[in-house]
Amino acid sequence: MPGEVYSQLMKELAEGKYVFTGELEPEKAGDVKEPIEAAKELVGLVTACNVTDNPQSFAYVNSLAASYKIEKETGMECVYQLRCSDRNRMALLSDVLGAGVLGIKNILALAGDHVSLGDTPDAKPVFDLDSTTLIYMIRKMVDEGKDLGGNDIHNPPKLHVGGAAAPGAAHLKAEVAKVKRKIKVGVEYLQTQVVYYPEILDKFFKELGKVDVPILVGIFPAKSFGAADFFDKYVAGVDVPPDYLKSLEATKEIKDKEKKKQEIDRINVEYFTGFLEYLKGTPAAGCHMMAVGYPRIIAPLKKVME
Amino acid sequence: MIAQEQKPIEEILGYLEGKNDVVIMGCGGCATFYHTGDKKAVDEMADKLEKEGKSVTKIPMPFSMQVCDTEKSAVFLNKKRKALEDCDAVLVMSCGDGVQVATEYIDEGMGLTKAVYPANNAIGLVGGGPTKFKETCLSCGMCELGKTAGICPLTSCGKGLMNGPCGGVRVDDKCEIDAEKDCAWVKIYERMEKLGELDKFIEMRAPHEWSKCKRPRLFEIEEPVNMMSAMIGAMPGFLTYTFSAKPKLEEGKK
Repeated sequence: MPGEVYSQLMKELAEGKYVFTGELEPEKAGDVKEPIEAAKELVGLVTACNVTDNPQSFAYVNSLAASYKIEKETGMECVYQLRCSDRNRMALLSDVLGAGVLGIKNILALAGDHVSLGDTPDAKPVFDLDSTTLIYMIRKMVDEGKDLGGNDIHNPPKLHVGGAAAPGAAHLKAEVAKVKRKIKVGVEYLQTQVVYYPEILDKFFKELGKVDVPILVGIFPAKSFGAADFFDKYVAGVDVPPDYLKSLEATKEIKDKEKKKQEIDRINVEYFTGFLEYLKGTPAAGCHMMAVGYPRIIAPLKKVME
Repeated sequence: MIAQEQKPIEEILGYLEGKNDVVIMGCGGCATFYHTGDKKAVDEMADKLEKEGKSVTKIPMPFSMQVCDTEKSAVFLNKKRKALEDCDAVLVMSCGDGVQVATEYIDEGMGLTKAVYPANNAIGLVGGGPTKFKETCLSCGMCELGKTAGICPLTSCGKGLMNGPCGGVRVDDKCEIDAEKDCAWVKIYERMEKLGELDKFIEMRAPHEWSKCKRPRLFEIEEPVNMMSAMIGAMPGFLTYTFSAKPKLEEGKK
């Protein structure tokens, strides 16, 4: 039923509480031990964690299986990321029903990077649906108990669907028009791509105008220079600020592992404190901390907002 | 037109390994425009194969005579029946359509079972020219251009999204997959803006009806084209084209 709340994430967003979410990345492995360990560190610090679905088109553990396992073993609420790149509308519907069966309460519906950008470039890209039609399909399943063809779903799933927005998009007007389209078809919350510059977010909020959908703003505290550099070079639509990159690069010279960690944490806290302070004054409903493999940074960053 | 490029000669020689007598069939249709099946291309291929010690028989097709048109290719294949009977392999210098039409006719029409190999890779239905072309149509069977300001997102968007742009548009409005290509959805936005149709842009377009593309699609028309009257009828237009000044379309075009 529209308006019903099934997850802690949507409950807190609906209550207007400032929400923090994290990110967990299953890997190319036969287990999900690492994201489980990271999730354990984040319990109590964030409301929910996204579980990535073949990020940057690198083929990893199925994000639904990982979401289920992480929720079961750590109690962390998961946001099951679901991409259109690898599945047609039938497979997407099956997976959404599967998510309902496994008790998953949040889905982040994404188009996904093109398969040619990842580690399996010869795969056939699917994109039978796009993020908007996937959001539409999920809402139709949940709210009306119907599939895209209008066929009845017995005991429809009870879950929420979020969507992505890219405030840094070069063509902001086209991006904002697309975001409005997602809102029109019923997206329940939005999560932005990583933002580094307040002026970019300001322009985005201004162009978007007032909307009823809560927006989580993405930040990316990098655990190493390599992680930030990869993000800068390979993640579509994101430019990492050169001064931040440079200070992370300087930590490569530090031999002592512990000191290096401390310095990286110091750089991140210093860099993001200002941004988080700024976020308090924006319409953002919360912050999505895309600190994959770097759970220790969440607590000090969250402190800034208290 | 169906754009095409010749396969690397190593791949072609790989198919022809151990096959000494080879028939090369050209194509007077699209392959002529891409220099992959015209008379000159057939001659050059023959030279290459002869240098490899093979004995070659050529079946060039005249301009406007396509291999994919069975009636036309049948005429030229039948003229070389003896060579086809004696050969070890046939190399067809057309798109995959032509290769398969030739294969089927040689097999079922002429009763000869021969190995038939492609010389080219077909790379799509393209528009443009005279030297630069762009894939524009998937022949999907359910044209969406009426909903997208005349730009096909299934073909021109790298992901084929019906509701873009995706989050991967580059700073210069290029595609995340290829920095050389424009983001189709930025183009669609800009055209809709000029047309005063941005209200349509933010409407969701329904998922594409792939049910209209059950492969292989079979197709039938009531009356075949009359080649003679079509050719005679085309003469005035052809003369107009020949003697008209041509616009310089490609200067500065990406």
